[in-house]
Amino acid sequence: MQSVVSPVTGWRSWVETLITLIRDKGVMLLLLGGPFLYGFYYPWFYASEVVRRVPVAVVDQDHSQLSRQIIRFAQASPRLDVLWVGQDESAARQAVERGELQGYLLLPADFKAHVLHGRPAVATIQANGAYPLISKNVQQGLAEAVGVVSAGVEIRQLQAHGQSPLQAQASRDPVRLQTVALFNPTEGYGSFVVPAVALLILQQTLLMGAAMATGTWVQAGLHRVSARAWLGRLLAFSLMGWLSGVFYFGWIFWMNDYPRGTHPLDVLVLLAVYSPAVSALGCLLGLWFGQRQRAMQVLLFTTPTMAFLAGFSWPGEALPPVLQWLRWLNPATSGIQAALRFNSMEAGLSVAQPYLLGLMGIGVSAFLAIWALTRGEAPRVQAGAH
Amino acid sequence: MSHLAASARREIRRLRQRPWDLAMITWVPALAVALVWWIFSTGLPRHLPIGVIDDDHSALSRQLVRMLDAVPGLQVERRFSGTREAESGLRSVEVYAVLAIPPDFERDIKRGQVGNLTLLHNAQFATHSGLIQRDVRATVATLSAGVEMTARNKRGESAQAVRVSAMPIQTRLVGLFNLSGDYQPFLGMALIPAVLHILAMTAGAWGVGCELRDRTLGEWLGSGSRGQTAAALAGKLLVPWVSLGATGAVALVAVTVGGGWYPAGSLAWVMVALSLLIAVSLAAGALLAGLTRSLQTALSGTGFFSAPAFAFSGVGFPLAAMSPFARRWAEAMPYTHYIQLQVGQLLMGVPVRLSVPTVVGLAAASVALWVVASLALHRAAGQPQTWGRD
Repeated sequence: MQSVVSPVTGWRSWVETLITLIRDKGVMLLLLGGPFLYGFYYPWFYASEVVRRVPVAVVDQDHSQLSRQIIRFAQASPRLDVLWVGQDESAARQAVERGELQGYLLLPADFKAHVLHGRPAVATIQANGAYPLISKNVQQGLAEAVGVVSAGVEIRQLQAHGQSPLQAQASRDPVRLQTVALFNPTEGYGSFVVPAVALLILQQTLLMGAAMATGTWVQAGLHRVSARAWLGRLLAFSLMGWLSGVFYFGWIFWMNDYPRGTHPLDVLVLLAVYSPAVSALGCLLGLWFGQRQRAMQVLLFTTPTMAFLAGFSWPGEALPPVLQWLRWLNPATSGIQAALRFNSMEAGLSVAQPYLLGLMGIGVSAFLAIWALTRGEAPRVQAGAH
Repeated sequence: MSHLAASARREIRRLRQRPWDLAMITWVPALAVALVWWIFSTGLPRHLPIGVIDDDHSALSRQLVRMLDAVPGLQVERRFSGTREAESGLRSVEVYAVLAIPPDFERDIKRGQVGNLTLLHNAQFATHSGLIQRDVRATVATLSAGVEMTARNKRGESAQAVRVSAMPIQTRLVGLFNLSGDYQPFLGMALIPAVLHILAMTAGAWGVGCELRDRTLGEWLGSGSRGQTAAALAGKLLVPWVSLGATGAVALVAVTVGGGWYPAGSLAWVMVALSLLIAVSLAAGALLAGLTRSLQTALSGTGFFSAPAFAFSGVGFPLAAMSPFARRWAEAMPYTHYIQLQVGQLLMGVPVRLSVPTVVGLAAASVALWVVASLALHRAAGQPQTWGRD
């Protein structure tokens, strides 16, 4: 027996695969339906981008002019929504436990008296540390309110000691730090997460789609074809990946005003290697699964974990050394790192070279593995697609 | 009851013959949970690379750089000679931030003027840059306080007086709960149930969907009454419920008590809630399969609902900051409610009675989904012509 089912050229295999894919509703739902749906669904939750008006309270046990001044500054902060001002600290704490407040500021009795007599007065900020992003806003908002009032008091004291306003300014805060946010200047949450997660969505949908179609071929005995025919198949999957990729970088990013590089060609180069690498890996997994629906059963749960290995929401530097290496076996890790460099940092191709080479390495290895696994004996079952 | 037991026994027999399916509810979940634990096992990130542009070359600027390098969270990876070089270092993500020390930094301070430092940070890597900003701020504040005290001592103020008037009002930051600011209890503990949620919904959809695809629905359910169908469904889902629930319980104990970290609230209560989250996920998966009568459509639905559940649960981006409609959607997801209970118990020590509604809600949702799934399956059992879809 000869070694292939239909001795096709790569070109014909490409066309035939495309037709097969388009007729397969389940695979199309993954390959194009998934990316399309997630493209609108995912950014929707983060549309407001920044956290504002976090509910807090001020426990004012001092009732002085100074404490009222701090409360006014807190009320004026865009980060905070001062829901109530009271005296009872346990009530504030219970409200935090119930989730009605995310923190409170405690101004103890004799607060102003301490300040006037030159004894340290301590304002305590209690922020719900269980949710980092909320806690950051509570801490910054309340610390700013206290800081402004504190600085005012200190400058008055220094001036009383005979310093000029400018000198007083300098000697209360001799070293000042200014921070400048680059590449995501608004520091929005959506524009931090989605440009990275987009690559993961592209990978997971393409990976499952390719594995599902391959599993179907295995069940029908259609997987033992020539290397050239496999190339045609991979190219057909890659085309789907390119379409979804262009839809994200061209439309979704633009619609949500996420960072987009000024060199669209770089992103296209990334897609050019990313799609085939993911497709080849998907086909290889499909050969292993050997069954149509297995792809989704086995791959669905891996998505959130992959996000934390890719090095954007959780620093790669914080991973155990072995995982720092292993994570590069997942194409999304390289894909995300390269995409962020192109879209947000606008770094050139040379900077992302290791990632692009890594993706090529994954693609070529997976292709060679596919070729090795499907070589040889012709299938016994020839009839009937799934 | 006999229908339930018979169905559970049949499920165990089936699983023994199908190593893939058995793996997906036993060692694969265990491995997945172990991987999550491993990811967060080192705790806070250390040695995040930053760069410095030191245009001052003074004793003070060198002291600052040494202080930065000594912070465990930071590593001064590069010393840039100018802004152009620093910019390329930032663009290539060689460093996540650059601290610029201007010329005459030390001289200005000695003359009693303000020394201005600028930290350029890569906000696209928000977690990295947040940690770096925190550490750099603390280091600069230490340097600044030192400079101020020295200056005042020179002017003849006593050390004690200086310490007070340097900062007439001190702010003390107290993280209520999660005191160390350590991310491991937070992210790791939230991700483990998120993974189990997906695995459970997949198992529910898979178990029921396979009976439809393989046309074994009749063999499984026979021509039983509605009640018997419900009992058979419960028996089938009981097997993955026990194995996934046990995995979750072991994981909870391992990452808390096993890591020498004792939860503020009730660990047992969290286990109850987690077993209900798994129950509701299994029932939801079974319902998707019963309604669509297609394994692959049920799995696609499972992916749509469960895979992003973590992202929209308020763990990262707060629910309160979402648009009202998006928030309502997020609050319709069982994981959102579960994770609030878990955070409340493990990190905050919230009284158990406050989260009773969550547990009751998860239980009610499990029962409701199970009843509706049973009805859908009862209908499907009477329509053999609809079996056998992909």
